[in-house]
Amino acid sequence: MKKIIILFSGSLLVLLSACTKVIDIDLNSKDPRIVIEGNITDVPGRYAVNITQTVNFSETNSFPAVSGAVVTVADDAGNTESLVEVYPGNYQGTVIQGVPGRTYYLTVVANGKTYTSQSKMPLTVQYDSLLLVPNTAFGPAYYIIPLFTDPAGLGNRYRCIETINTTQVKELFLFEDQLTDGLMNGQPILNFSDSLLTGDSVSVELQCIDKPTYLYFFSLLQTVSGQSGAPANPVSNISNDALGYFSAHTSQRKYVIIP
Amino acid sequence: MKNSFLIAFFLFIGHWSFAQQKYTLSGTVKDKKTGEILIGTVIRISELKNTGAASNEYGFYSITIPEGDYTIVVSMLGYKSVTEKLALHQDIKKDIFMGDTAKSMDEVVITDERKDANVTDPQMGAQKLDIKEANKIPVLFGEKDILKTIQLLPGIKSGGDGGSGFFVRGGAADQNLILLDEAPVYNASHLLGFFSTFNSDAIKDVTVYKGNAPAQYGGRLSSVLDIKMNDGNNQRYHIGGGIGLISSKLNFEGPIVKNKGSFIITGRRTYADVFLKLSPNETIKKSSLYFYDLNLKANYQLNEKNRIFLSGYFGRDKLGLQGAFGIDWGNATGTFRWNHFINDRLFSNTSLIFSNYSYKISIDAEDASFNITSKIRDYNVKHEYQFFANPKNNIRFGINSIYHTVTPGQITASEGSGINPIKLQDRFGLENAAYASDQWSVTERVNVTFGVRVSSFSALGKGDFYSFDEEGNPSDTTSYASGKIVKTYINVEPRISAGFILDSSSSIKISYARNAQNLHLLSNSVSTSPTDLWVMSSAIIKPEIADQYAIGYYRNFRDNTIEFSAEIYYKSMQNQVDYKNGANTQANELIEGELLFGKGRAYGVELFVKKKYGKLTGWVGYTLSKSERQIAEVNEGSWYPVKQDRTHDISIVAMYQIVPKVSIAATWVFNTGSAVTFPSGKYMVDGQVIFLYTERNGYRMPAYHRMDIGLTWDNKKTEKFESSWNFSVYNLYGRENAYTITFRQDPNDSSKTQAVQTSLFKFIPSVSYNFRF
Repeated sequence: MKKIIILFSGSLLVLLSACTKVIDIDLNSKDPRIVIEGNITDVPGRYAVNITQTVNFSETNSFPAVSGAVVTVADDAGNTESLVEVYPGNYQGTVIQGVPGRTYYLTVVANGKTYTSQSKMPLTVQYDSLLLVPNTAFGPAYYIIPLFTDPAGLGNRYRCIETINTTQVKELFLFEDQLTDGLMNGQPILNFSDSLLTGDSVSVELQCIDKPTYLYFFSLLQTVSGQSGAPANPVSNISNDALGYFSAHTSQRKYVIIP
Repeated sequence: MKNSFLIAFFLFIGHWSFAQQKYTLSGTVKDKKTGEILIGTVIRISELKNTGAASNEYGFYSITIPEGDYTIVVSMLGYKSVTEKLALHQDIKKDIFMGDTAKSMDEVVITDERKDANVTDPQMGAQKLDIKEANKIPVLFGEKDILKTIQLLPGIKSGGDGGSGFFVRGGAADQNLILLDEAPVYNASHLLGFFSTFNSDAIKDVTVYKGNAPAQYGGRLSSVLDIKMNDGNNQRYHIGGGIGLISSKLNFEGPIVKNKGSFIITGRRTYADVFLKLSPNETIKKSSLYFYDLNLKANYQLNEKNRIFLSGYFGRDKLGLQGAFGIDWGNATGTFRWNHFINDRLFSNTSLIFSNYSYKISIDAEDASFNITSKIRDYNVKHEYQFFANPKNNIRFGINSIYHTVTPGQITASEGSGINPIKLQDRFGLENAAYASDQWSVTERVNVTFGVRVSSFSALGKGDFYSFDEEGNPSDTTSYASGKIVKTYINVEPRISAGFILDSSSSIKISYARNAQNLHLLSNSVSTSPTDLWVMSSAIIKPEIADQYAIGYYRNFRDNTIEFSAEIYYKSMQNQVDYKNGANTQANELIEGELLFGKGRAYGVELFVKKKYGKLTGWVGYTLSKSERQIAEVNEGSWYPVKQDRTHDISIVAMYQIVPKVSIAATWVFNTGSAVTFPSGKYMVDGQVIFLYTERNGYRMPAYHRMDIGLTWDNKKTEKFESSWNFSVYNLYGRENAYTITFRQDPNDSSKTQAVQTSLFKFIPSVSYNFRF
């Protein structure tokens, strides 16, 4: 909803003769920092932790991998696994399987520092289907509504990932049940950046995420939307000042073809 | 309670006894043509040195002097001085009528005017705006705006290109107390901040105090902007209006009973939406985009001793797409005032004030809809006395009580909207204050205004109040019944301002003031938004407190035609409030767990030169300043510049009367860019490039500068009809000032990132036509 206000205000500014141009800004250089991205899901198979480093703003988008780290994942059922570096910076595990309701612990030892995190995989929420609602007003041609019913009781949080054909959409879609507790979801994933064409295959993954993971993506969204008065790094759930997040979440996916 | 307060006060002032036979001259100063009461006219007794008075905000004056024959001189900028002989052998009630100088433009030198007021008046950090002058200053879209004009004064900075928001001496936007006929206005902007809520056709008097306000004002740290509406002509009916690029205005005024009472109604509406209707696009056609203002005022003199005023303001913005989304917001204020002349030296005023600010966001879909509403509402009582004790002491004391209700958010939703209706708890607060001050002419050379304001704030039930652990999670809940006190804060706020006259054209002034603030605006966005949240002090949020010290040197040149001043200030601020990273600001009952607290400091030098008379008038203002905050959780607890910190700020305003009918005006402004947070690096998560931030407000926007010009052409004036044209150009040389700078992936090369600057207003011409009959 805030997004609509922003977009509407934005278009108003355009009406008021806004003009944009690319400029050069001298931005400070900083020592590289570690970035850890770990996901474990209830989908059988491998899971991965990626470790990279930051670069300066003016450099190209190639982010150095952090190799040779010791990466361990454990759960509260007594299982422990050391992950194997499959390619530089990519560490994979195969033994531990994600089970909703369990808590997972991540330990990374890299460049002489230890980083830890934990995440509790929420219980699965039944994901029914995708609903396409034609939009006659301003915005995309269709609103896509992931249909699921929020379980009674506050504290459910969701992240959706939209993929159009084979491209994962950049936008972040987050839901939480503060205003929708116990209800069938009616909120579309509002994507104003990508257009939908007839014949496009759209998939939407629904993840049930825990509170720290939600806070990470929510604070990331505030910063990338460009509306925060003081943009800042998202609130990470990993210790020792690492960037990134560690999330144990459920994962379900539904497809729809644009008519 | 009220009586004992009065008695105590008269005991306190008992040492001013009157051995010699003295009489009092009192009355009201009014405009001869319209009957409007005149504020701040200076009344002097030629025969007595250092003896004078100024008419108060209701035009009332009173001077008590020994029996004798005198010459009184009454003067005010823009009016012909009035000189009268008077034999004072008894108390005299005398209303003074002044004629304006408009008809005799050539008569440049106005005899015997109190032109040296800026040197002799002990008040510092105060500036009175001349509305007639302000109307000539060119502004964006030709929409005359007092909030934009005050931004041209030193120490007052613009909130953004074309915007009406302002910052005073490094303070935040919510630290300005904006009063419209005594009613606080909580959101003074229209249309995302590009226009202010004040229709300058409805305004009579504007005074801004930069943190050294006298004791009768309180409740905000940085400034007081005291705006008084026109009373209306009590002699004959008039219709006036203006047609501009953005809006049209109309006003109607006249006597209720001639010489006894008058009314004025002023309305304004924008019409950008009319053009939307012409669009072939159905969606745009159905959009709304406008605001309106309505100012109403009436006054009536019941008898010699009693006069009542009723004023109201209603304004609202509506933005929206029909059938999809809408947001509207606005203020409503109402003030009832009763002036009572207890005797010719004791004046009282009682005000009942109502103020309401609300917004509503509505989302409509075909089968479902929901609304979010939020409001802040005040009931406010003020009771004040002014005692004109003797020519050396002018005493003011009173009490003020405000009951605040904040409705942070209420969501209503239709069946099937997929939203549960909820209502966040209303929050209640009671703010009380008692104050007393004395404007004291100690000697011919020393003038002091001193006083104290004792303010209290109580957070009241009914409601659940939370305490939070270090992570900001609620750890405990306490329920309070309706009217029960949750927490009370008492602040003693001393105020003193002293002027030492060095010689006939120069003086030094010093001042100290403490201010406390119990209403805090939480804003998480780049520009102010109508949905920013007001919160009150509570067990967790402590009152913000500012102590400001200032010293200034004032000097007039060339027979007082050129004023110069230099002021230095230092302000320290406690209990400043900010959001945590990732704070959930929407419909959050636990908002107090999302806050950070710290302190602030601001200091600077303000230089000001003004030429007040002649064909060429105008001023140059320069400010060198710094404003910083320290919050333990931000930038590792070190001091960092606030957004509104601008090292250099220059304003030049020039107005030139080419011929009596034609005048031109030009302004030029320059300021250091605001402090801003830019990324220092980047990294990849989830296949997306994310920017790395290392320091809040560690960078600067590019410097801002702009020139505007305007031309006012007065058509031939007759007794029945007068009109004028105004042409202006905003941003004459088309400077592309940065409104925002954002960072993104290069659309042509996904391996690169780039910075993009958005500028808004480049060379905007406008025209408006104003008339009155």
